[in-house]
Amino acid sequence: MRPDFKSSRHPRPRSLLRIRALRAVAQRARAATTVACAVACGAALAQDGKVDPLAVGRQLLAEDNPGELWVQRGEKLFHAKRGPRQLSLEQCDFGLGPGKLTGAFARLPRYFPDTGKVQDLESRLLTCMVELQGYARADIVKGAFSTLDHDSDMEALASFVASRSNGMSMNVQLDHEKEREMYKAGEYLFHRRSGPTDFACVTCHGDEGKRIRLQELPNMTDRKQIQAVVSGWPAYRGTQSTVRTMQHRLYDCNWQMRLPDLDFASDMSIALTTYLNYSGNGAVIQAPGVRR
Amino acid sequence: MAEPMKIRATVKGDVADIRVLIAHPMETGQRRDAKGELVPQHFIQSIVVTYNGKTVYTGQWSQAVSRNPVFAVRVRGAKAGDKVSVTWVDNKGDRRTDEKTVDAA
Amino acid sequence: MAWLTFAPALGVLGCAAFPDEQAARVAGESMVAQAYPGMPEVLTRRAVQDPPQRICSKIGPGKITQEEAAEVIRLSRASIKYPASGKLVGDWKTGAALAYSGVGTRVRDGKVEKVKENGALCSNCHMLDPREVNAGNLGPSLAGYGSQRGSTDAVTQYTYERIYNAWAFVPCSNMPRLGANGHLTPEQIAHVVAYLIDPQSPVNRK
Repeated sequence: MRPDFKSSRHPRPRSLLRIRALRAVAQRARAATTVACAVACGAALAQDGKVDPLAVGRQLLAEDNPGELWVQRGEKLFHAKRGPRQLSLEQCDFGLGPGKLTGAFARLPRYFPDTGKVQDLESRLLTCMVELQGYARADIVKGAFSTLDHDSDMEALASFVASRSNGMSMNVQLDHEKEREMYKAGEYLFHRRSGPTDFACVTCHGDEGKRIRLQELPNMTDRKQIQAVVSGWPAYRGTQSTVRTMQHRLYDCNWQMRLPDLDFASDMSIALTTYLNYSGNGAVIQAPGVRR
Repeated sequence: MAEPMKIRATVKGDVADIRVLIAHPMETGQRRDAKGELVPQHFIQSIVVTYNGKTVYTGQWSQAVSRNPVFAVRVRGAKAGDKVSVTWVDNKGDRRTDEKTVDAA
Repeated sequence: MAWLTFAPALGVLGCAAFPDEQAARVAGESMVAQAYPGMPEVLTRRAVQDPPQRICSKIGPGKITQEEAAEVIRLSRASIKYPASGKLVGDWKTGAALAYSGVGTRVRDGKVEKVKENGALCSNCHMLDPREVNAGNLGPSLAGYGSQRGSTDAVTQYTYERIYNAWAFVPCSNMPRLGANGHLTPEQIAHVVAYLIDPQSPVNRK
């Protein structure tokens, strides 16, 4: 069955049988009364009364996001005494004071006096895991992105801390000189053409209604669309079977642009995140989101 | 002990919509790890949903179900306050039971 | 292409407090230089801009001058190389496989991916075979390319050159300079030209 190319933001399930399982759900729903179907697939009912199984799947994932398992695990990790110093992350300062999580993610990236740098969520977690818990920076960076063989603690922790800003608006402030520098550098980098593909971020994300093959591209020169982007990261990515953070998203874009592996928590990544998040100010955060 | 499931159960009219998010690697047995070795099969073999103690769903799953599956069941004749219980057993003998009280929509 | 319109928000904070374009460029370039520690030089040099890329990175409409545009066109035209055989049209079936392949030159853990040959990336951005839905729209649809233009020498030369270095025709085009950047060989480009032009090609079938 050909996917409807307009509805291409669906996460592509890793198992075809998951589609069949969902189709079976949809078929049973069709056989049952409209009441039963409306509960899960009201939005997926087309004019002809046929249920679109992909829409059912998308809706199920949006309502019961596997990313919530990462939030759960992240909360456990946050409070657990870990690392060489056997301390929790409860004293980590994300900008609102040690241990103050509610609304902290909504203000990131921001300047931190203790490091003298503008930092995003992941680089701040990295700082705390190293400074508070005594981990070696290289070890955390090495395991920062999950593979199917190992779960990244960073992704779980980022999911948890980000979720503590759910329902709040993105509110990056550029009060400090370094924050303004980061913003302008990020704007410059967003437009910087480079690499064997001659791509800049704006090449793919600078126009309305564009897609790469069947993957729709947000137009990041449009405020509403950039708000939709920044409100949903970290995100459970169906093709990756894990929650991915903005650090990974930028790493992945870098890969597609045929550039070398982007360094984790690099200034380049933080500058771009500052630019994107500030541009998306006002977005209502709902982390983790769901992406393909 | 496996990670807890996340269960949501809401009732609209007399139909309970039960959603279960299960943490499980669901290895097919065909994947190779970074070293090139086959990762052994590890999947949920049987799953049972009871409603107020009565079995309403039994499933024999296979390795084809994806990692961290999302699973939905609907039960008729429901009301708020009813008890839902989900139990799974996997091919390694590991098991997990989680419960939830049905909420009004 | 729409440009950013967030300047009003910045105005509230006072433009004088923000680094100017030159300072932003210096800061950004310094970040790029530090973004790939430990990577081999052959890979990090990919991030270094050549003169056309530098010109084409300006922010905002109308910033590229006529002289700069002409310079990009001149440099791009000069970069074009042709197949040793002189044949600009290859085999359309080979071209079809290339057109729908998106692999090649990507880096993971400091190593370039191992592929039999680089794909031409066409379907990422262009509609080609009108019956194939799985194609992007960043570039114009090329369905019916050959049936619309014919297959004269002028057309095949234009098509070949456009794929080799699109900036020779549209300076700062969104299209990668596939031949000039070494992603595709002249022979591969000739196969893609055939895929676009040959009347038998699915691109030109109704």
